[in-house]
Amino acid sequence: MNRRQYAGESHAVYLLILLLLGAFVMGVKWVGIGMDTPADGWINLALGGMLLAAFVIARLVRTLGLPMLSGYIFAGILAGPFVSGFLCAETVDQLKLIDELALSVIALAAGAELQLAVMKKRGWAIFLHILLITVFVLALVVGFVFFFASFFDVTAGFSTVQLAAFAVLIGVISVARSPSSTIAIISECRASGRFTETVLGVTLLTDILVIIMFTSALAVSRQLLFAGGGMQWNTAVALGWEIIISLAIGALLGKGISLYIRRVKFDFLIFLIFIAFAVSRASIGFNEYMAENAQMSLHLEPLLICMSAGFFIRNFTGQGGYFMESLDRIALPVYVLFFSLAGAALDFGSLILCWPLAVGLVLARAAGLFAGSWAAGRVLGDPKDYQYCAWMTYLTQAGVAIGLAQLAMGEFPEIGNHLHTVVLAVIAINQIAGPVLFKVALHRVNESGRSRHGPV
Amino acid sequence: MKLLIALSLVIAAAFGGYHLSFRRIAGRRSRFSWLHLTGLEFLIIGLLLGPGFSNILDETTIANLSPFSGLALGWVGLLAGFQFEAALIRRFPPPFFLAVFLESGVTILFVFCCLYPLLPLFIPMSGSLHVIVALVLSAAAACTSQSGLVVAGAGHTAAGNKTLRLLRYMVSLEALLPMALLVWIYFFRPGPPGINSLVMALLLSAVLTAVLILYALLLARRRSTDELALVIIGMTVLTSGAAVQVGFSPLPANFFLGLILVNLTREKEKIFGLLVSIEKPVYLVLLIFLGAQWQLSGFWIALPAGLYFMLRLAGKISGGWIATRVVPGLYTYPGLLGLGLLEQGGLALAILLDFQQRFSGPEVSAAVGFALAAIVLTQMAGPYFAHRLIRGVKS
Repeated sequence: MNRRQYAGESHAVYLLILLLLGAFVMGVKWVGIGMDTPADGWINLALGGMLLAAFVIARLVRTLGLPMLSGYIFAGILAGPFVSGFLCAETVDQLKLIDELALSVIALAAGAELQLAVMKKRGWAIFLHILLITVFVLALVVGFVFFFASFFDVTAGFSTVQLAAFAVLIGVISVARSPSSTIAIISECRASGRFTETVLGVTLLTDILVIIMFTSALAVSRQLLFAGGGMQWNTAVALGWEIIISLAIGALLGKGISLYIRRVKFDFLIFLIFIAFAVSRASIGFNEYMAENAQMSLHLEPLLICMSAGFFIRNFTGQGGYFMESLDRIALPVYVLFFSLAGAALDFGSLILCWPLAVGLVLARAAGLFAGSWAAGRVLGDPKDYQYCAWMTYLTQAGVAIGLAQLAMGEFPEIGNHLHTVVLAVIAINQIAGPVLFKVALHRVNESGRSRHGPV
Repeated sequence: MKLLIALSLVIAAAFGGYHLSFRRIAGRRSRFSWLHLTGLEFLIIGLLLGPGFSNILDETTIANLSPFSGLALGWVGLLAGFQFEAALIRRFPPPFFLAVFLESGVTILFVFCCLYPLLPLFIPMSGSLHVIVALVLSAAAACTSQSGLVVAGAGHTAAGNKTLRLLRYMVSLEALLPMALLVWIYFFRPGPPGINSLVMALLLSAVLTAVLILYALLLARRRSTDELALVIIGMTVLTSGAAVQVGFSPLPANFFLGLILVNLTREKEKIFGLLVSIEKPVYLVLLIFLGAQWQLSGFWIALPAGLYFMLRLAGKISGGWIATRVVPGLYTYPGLLGLGLLEQGGLALAILLDFQQRFSGPEVSAAVGFALAAIVLTQMAGPYFAHRLIRGVKS
């Protein structure tokens, strides 16, 4: 990082832009309320304002050495319902479809970052990191909840059985990462090298593992909370099929995309948006169809589908280069949109309610990440920098963790509501601190600025 | 299952239509070469996806995707405004500019005068809405697309090429009168209590001034292409939202911003390149949105669609004839110049989508429905007539 290269950027101008933008949006909002104008005007105004604010704030934080991702998230927080209220909870919810489109594009990029040759080369390292980090995080988080639950209002009233179920579920959720944040930081820092490859592989593959583990955790919790509620093997089989089918559909999709690039190539941008939309809607439609017509719970995972598609294009077709370049071209607006909306959706109400427990869990999780990554690094004989810095790259958490918490909330209402609140609070902290520490780690191991790809 | 069938249809239509529209089958003249779609198949895709068929793009989804339509409308407006760079316009002879005004003015007047009394025969509607519908359709009728001229190809003679040059000039500047008409419609339509046209003008001036200041601050420093794209996208969506919030339309708001920006900013080449590079996807998004909300209420719309097509044809021919016979210096151009200005493009579609979003009701949907059907006809016929005109011009 070279702060001098940003010396030409005037803080005063950016602050003036922010002030003017804020005054403009508030003024127009006030006029619109008086005129009772249609809702789409306000959504566009708020979204446009947030995009520009995110752009400006990101450039401001960049001069301070922080990742631009933090700027996007911070802009979303400022615009969100807990600070300025530009984007109320309802508006954030209305923008969920656009958020899903952006996530699908990011997932395509994430899959395309995984190179088979690298995976083979770093396979053992990736496996060891996943194994040890999972074990240590689970152990420390579950242990923390068990031994310190009585000190926190949220968990003080739980019975032993409820506490055990809560601990198991939150332990598994703590293993989840944020592939989108990982991709965005690596892309922004133009990072490349052995450390980066391992982090990327570990993060992307962990999410598949977490989905499997969470189903087991649900089964265990069911057994604990409902007497006689045993392991439902058909659920485990269905989950296995979900993952296999999602990956297979992703591979087919990747083949289709590569065919389009080879035979048509024009309007690839609109085609990508169509694909992202189609995956999102088709998954929802399929899930509903299976629930209504086949009486079984078989969910397609849009994130897995897109990651699989990106992986297939990069590793099994000749169009990987063009695909990556096209994604690079739209990376900046997609990242700004996705992470500012993620910031707006962060639940600070939950954090205020249970911040002591949330802080404790964050620290326990961080300790587990450190212990696991350090141990893996020692076994592999990695440089000391790798051993001591790797944990910083695994802190970020986002959509997958929220999705799992929502599943738990639906399944076990008596503990699920508390679980959901605590998870949202933990994510709020991790999404603020995580990107900063991630960038620090990449600089410490000297892998920033070594890649051709990136939006900056 | 309905979803899978609809998606398969969509993919087939997109691929098939794409090849009919934009590619020739190598080495052979395709039997479908007379069929020129210029992307209109995406209108059909939108129709298939919309509430009338598969309902993949249902009302809620369309509402949730409103930032895309706001961006599309704003982008088209901004690009239209960017055509009015004073330094470039001054290079052309003044008669060209006068010809543009005459041709588009005559078209608007002709279509309005004929359409206004005939509209109630097809769509019963009340007083002010009747006028507004007729005015909007007249404004859309005045717009022409460049793509038909591109497909028509070069002329055989110098006179043909000269005619083509005039046509291209007219097409690029035709947006001014329709935009001015839209501004007039929004200023004088019945609005909320206490908001008259003067208040509206003040609000709009304040909005545009603030937006221009933001543009100036954001573009004060040279930006990379990625950053510039983000700034333009953000500002376009912001302006579109602000315009709607003060009871105005995103299309003319962005048009006037584009007109001012192209004459003041040093980054105009880069911005114009950016606007043009994403023009096609924006155009396709417009088509899909229009198609999704296209209400084909029955075969009866063929009548008003045919009428609108004929009125526009007559208006264009009249306008072109008057321009070449009245304006000094243009007497050597063909009298049927209007035949080269038939194909309607993104701006006409944007006007219709904007109209549909800002004015709700079955009458509006019906009017937009038959106007779209007429546009399908002009898109197919336009390049043929343009080609005949240019090739037929003798030295």
